[in-house]
Amino acid sequence: MDSYSAPESTPSASSRPEDYFIGATPLQKRLESVRKQSSFILTPPRRKIPQCSQLQEDVDPQKVAFLLHKQWTLYSLTPLYKFSYSNLKEYSRLLNAFIVAEKQKGLAVEVGEDFNIKIVSKSQLPSENREGKVLWTGWFCCVFGDSLLETVSEDFTCLPLFLANGAESNTAIIGTWFQKTFDCYFSPLAINAFNLSWMAAMWTACKMDHYVATTEFLWSVPCSPQSLDISFAIHPEDAKALWDSVHKTPGEVTQEEVDLFMDCLYSHFHRHFKIHLSATRLVRVSTSVASAHTDGKIKILCHKYLIGVLAYLTELAIFQIE
Amino acid sequence: MDETVAEFIKRTILKIPMNELTTILKAWDFLSENQLQTVNFRQRKESVVQHLIHLCEEKRASISDAALLDIIYMQFHQHQKVWEVFQMSKGPGEDVDLFDMKQFKNSFKKILQRALKNALTIASKHHQIVKMDLRSRYLDSLKAIVFKQYNQTFETHNSTTPLQERSLGLDINMDSRIIHENIVEKERVQRITQETFGDYPQPQLEFAQYKLETKFKSGLNGSILAEREEPLRCLIKFSSPHLLEALKSLAPAGIADAPLSPLLTCIPNKRMNYFKIRDK
Repeated sequence: MDSYSAPESTPSASSRPEDYFIGATPLQKRLESVRKQSSFILTPPRRKIPQCSQLQEDVDPQKVAFLLHKQWTLYSLTPLYKFSYSNLKEYSRLLNAFIVAEKQKGLAVEVGEDFNIKIVSKSQLPSENREGKVLWTGWFCCVFGDSLLETVSEDFTCLPLFLANGAESNTAIIGTWFQKTFDCYFSPLAINAFNLSWMAAMWTACKMDHYVATTEFLWSVPCSPQSLDISFAIHPEDAKALWDSVHKTPGEVTQEEVDLFMDCLYSHFHRHFKIHLSATRLVRVSTSVASAHTDGKIKILCHKYLIGVLAYLTELAIFQIE
Repeated sequence: MDETVAEFIKRTILKIPMNELTTILKAWDFLSENQLQTVNFRQRKESVVQHLIHLCEEKRASISDAALLDIIYMQFHQHQKVWEVFQMSKGPGEDVDLFDMKQFKNSFKKILQRALKNALTIASKHHQIVKMDLRSRYLDSLKAIVFKQYNQTFETHNSTTPLQERSLGLDINMDSRIIHENIVEKERVQRITQETFGDYPQPQLEFAQYKLETKFKSGLNGSILAEREEPLRCLIKFSSPHLLEALKSLAPAGIADAPLSPLLTCIPNKRMNYFKIRDK
């Protein structure tokens, strides 16, 4: 039985942020101003809508197939100290030894008796046809996080976003080893309602040939003594039509548009049920591009916009590390 | 027939406007159809009244009949009296027992009799005056006398805090103007919620589903989806370990408006929890 952990290296030099982003994200602006020691001015956030044409050649559907349609638990990770891509084999060996030692200590480990952990980089990703069942997968990634790279010294490697699929006990053990070895720190990445709304709007804005899933929102109502969940599913074509009616600035998504999009949904709901959804807590959004839960769980459904989704998540991870 | 009864009926009938007289007499149902037909209602009122008294004497009207006529008159002319409402409640620790109408009537009667006795005792100074006082009060309305006394007795028993504030547990030391505005709205919400859901435990239900095909109508910005003819296709699901209790708590919590939407409140009545909603 094999299990793999596959740290993704940073994308190749061709995918520079300037190729894909027009206008700095609020995070980039903040970092810039901190370095310049200038006063901080809040500007309305804008983000470029992921354009699939520019990104398609970077993403091989075959290679990334194993990433899609799986639920990933998200973590932010502080920069790794003295991590080297040339030592991956050595790291694999050390990690395996560590797990064996933990098992002997009596610590519960999900992996079976006969296991093997491999740490590989992007170019060595296994194809889907490999023998053996993959029990646990974790990947380190950084998409357009160059702003963070600029702020740390040469000894550090920035891979701020970590995604894990598999038993949590495995995640814990493997995470412990990385933390010990590279003096870094994992932290679960929660996604608040504000960012969930952004995701819903951005992913609704993505142009799709066909929709594989309905667009759905889930709210949790803080009423006592019983909990109440409200799910609002809307046909993806209708969601797109609503977005198109709200959207004004070509090529960009603005805060005002996100707010208006959500307000339209709240208003439509209130008209029928007299309930103010804005007074409740948004916990999950789901579209044909991806779905995200406030507990930091994500599922990516569409390879075309994979980079865009990862870019946004990287930004959230960096924000949490700051 | 007692002359006081006759006087009582006479004074009651004199109060009734001519255009209402036949209606009220019919509602009273004491004088028969035949008897009423003998009366010429186009005469002067005094003559009509005299004729009616004569008919009542024939039928031997009692004080109860006279009182009933008074009550019926009161029902038609409620606005001429000031009514007060009293809430009956049990103290803390007391059991809630089933309501026995008969027993209630008996207790109530006894209290009234006691109150009336007290009223007479307090009011009496001179035997003659008392009798006259009683007589005039007796003729105006027995109910009115008793209720006046009744009010006073109860007012001293209850605490002086207004009923609303006590039941909501608010701090009455705050600025009274601020409290009052809030109380009115909170009370309204409580009342409507109670009217909608009742005081009893709600039937246990775990989810409700609505398939909506309705057009988008924006209050905020009229231009959004204005040209779109097609409705928005939505599926809404409410789920909870105890859905109706949860819905009941929404308006008091400020999360929903009161009254709640009929789409939700009709669930127990219709015994349905799958709905399809379309524009008309």
